[in-house]
Amino acid sequence: MTELATRVDTVVATAAPRTRRPSLRRLPGYAFLTVAAVVSLFPLYFMLVSATNTSKDVLGSRLLPGGALFDNLGKLLDQQDVGGALWHSFLNATLTTVGALAICSIAGYGFEVFHSRGKDRVMRVLLLAMMIPFAATMIPLFQMFARANLVNSTFAVILPALSTPFLILLFRQASRGFPHEILEAARLDGLGELRIFARIYLPTMRSTFAAAAVITFMAAWNNFLWPKVILVDNAYQTMPMLISNLTAGYVTDYGVLMLAVLLASLPTVVIFLVLQRAFAEGITGAVK
Amino acid sequence: MSATKRTIRAWLAAAAVVPLVASLAACSGSGHAGTGASGGGSGSNTLTVWAWDPNFNIYAMNEAAKIYQKDHPDFQLKVVETPWDDLQTKLTTLAQSQQADKLPDIFLVQNNAFQKNVINYPDLFSDFKGSQVDFSKFPQSVVDYSKVDGVNYGMPFDNGTAITALRTDVLQQAGYTVKDFTDISWSRFLELGKDVLAKTGKPLLSGQAGSSDLITMMLQSAGASLFDKDGKPTITDNAALLAAIDMYQKLVKAGVLVEVNSWDEYIGSFVNQNVAGTINGVWIVGSIQSAADQSGKWAITNLPKLDGVPGATNYSANGGSSWAISAHANRDLAIDFLNSTFAGSTQFYDTILPKSGALANWTPAGDSKVYAEPQPFFGGDAIFQKVVGYSTKVPSNNTGAYYYEGRDAVSAAITKIMSGTDPATALKEAQQTVEFAMK
Repeated sequence: MTELATRVDTVVATAAPRTRRPSLRRLPGYAFLTVAAVVSLFPLYFMLVSATNTSKDVLGSRLLPGGALFDNLGKLLDQQDVGGALWHSFLNATLTTVGALAICSIAGYGFEVFHSRGKDRVMRVLLLAMMIPFAATMIPLFQMFARANLVNSTFAVILPALSTPFLILLFRQASRGFPHEILEAARLDGLGELRIFARIYLPTMRSTFAAAAVITFMAAWNNFLWPKVILVDNAYQTMPMLISNLTAGYVTDYGVLMLAVLLASLPTVVIFLVLQRAFAEGITGAVK
Repeated sequence: MSATKRTIRAWLAAAAVVPLVASLAACSGSGHAGTGASGGGSGSNTLTVWAWDPNFNIYAMNEAAKIYQKDHPDFQLKVVETPWDDLQTKLTTLAQSQQADKLPDIFLVQNNAFQKNVINYPDLFSDFKGSQVDFSKFPQSVVDYSKVDGVNYGMPFDNGTAITALRTDVLQQAGYTVKDFTDISWSRFLELGKDVLAKTGKPLLSGQAGSSDLITMMLQSAGASLFDKDGKPTITDNAALLAAIDMYQKLVKAGVLVEVNSWDEYIGSFVNQNVAGTINGVWIVGSIQSAADQSGKWAITNLPKLDGVPGATNYSANGGSSWAISAHANRDLAIDFLNSTFAGSTQFYDTILPKSGALANWTPAGDSKVYAEPQPFFGGDAIFQKVVGYSTKVPSNNTGAYYYEGRDAVSAAITKIMSGTDPATALKEAQQTVEFAMK
């Protein structure tokens, strides 16, 4: 405690005289950050502005907002079933997120909290599975779903994404910081294991859940290859599939395309903004 | 204790299963679960089709269905919008997982990829053997794209005949008309291009850096290819290829052709009036016409021909596509439908041309009044009739199973040549790359 107090004093003491000339010293840092911010934000700005411009203006790299937003919207709605695609993307992403969080959090928790002989071996096999690219498993997966007569179903879209080694690892790593003393105390007080998970682990690991939710939702929302292969009928098409359709013709309307991209990006932006703070904490492994 | 453990396990299992069941319930609730296959060969009067452009080939298909329905009132058509790249992925997946029954009855295939797919995945296709289709009504070069071992596997649809599109107002500033660019050689084109650039500051052409589109168009215009009749690569010691690459280098060096980085930039280069023309398949007119303010300022003519190459002509092709009938299809109905519309109805082609610009490969369509109508955007020229005329003069070229590998290898070679590598060395490497891919 005294050590901490001394450290705080030192920080305060050294910080005071620095306040005179921070601006000059920090200038290069701020300049770099400003450039980095502009570079990262510009594509978003261009997407936003281009959604309001005509195809010709987008090709001409017009940087000011135009008046073609409603025209683009009309054309987009006329050509594609945007509502259906948004709904299917939302349904797939939400079900995947809920399912993956439920399964992987329990798995990660189990790997950390319970002990068995083969645990680490199983974990190693799981981690090895992370190295296999999806393209290598796609055809056997398709065969499996085709045999089970599940082609063209939402179930077939979400099932392969429900349990991912990455999420299990994320939960396991995050659980390392989870104080085991609380578990022991809860057990001594007679709380069942499931209740410990639901009442103690879950609220404590909120930030990890938020990070996992953002990662899973975004991955599921942007998932393209698997849904495209397994959903043969366009009645179930998702937003990335819809965007792909817009670029497939001989003539691409870039204004309409940018509007579709904007609409497809909005939900993930909203979810990220809502869970931003918890996401950062979850990724850095903070446990409160 | 063991009872407690069992309870824990039961609860954990339930926790894992509940979301699954919930999701399943949600799926079936929205009516998606287990609807099974796409429905190829589904009903005696229904055909399912995969195609990729709602304003073009999908529109054409739907119009064809309306015409066919007049004589066959029970006929139904269902088109599933599937971009070509995704369609190719699906063909590969279905072939490798032996699920050909998930195919639709009819699907559209890029001409350049047709032989490759038939050779690699013969189980996916039905042929046109014994059908009533008169393939002689289509240009030989186009029919050849979908022919393997003398058997027809596809019905040609959209026209990929190559055109030179030029801005007449820019040419006028330099003292030329489109006639000066008609029936000429590439060396003359280069000369004129330099003059236009000097007088107006505008290059005549643009192209994607590292793309071999223009080179392959030049090759086909001389009836040459990257492969011989047996499918062996002929990238080295190929006089036409060397002449084409030499001309490409000269065009870029003189500034008559500007290289851009992407397809979007390529479209932007003529829409934004940075260049005074373009050479591509006739389907490029759709993009040209998207700049409505340039109406009346464009004209179309044939391609320049390679100098000193035997068999060189002023005609070539790039792109285009043909309808394939799947192995799982209701074959008789599919052939009858295609034969009555795409290979038998001038009325059909007359309907689709004005709205979609879908230009026929079916030669009799070129004689109709609709094709002879003057196009104000192109200075009142009857460009569609003109291009159907060109299409009959395009020399055939052999694409084979490795056409895309060949094209990619040549594209890589061009990038090397443009950065200083000797053409013979770069092409030798390309040949080796393709031979390795074919092993």
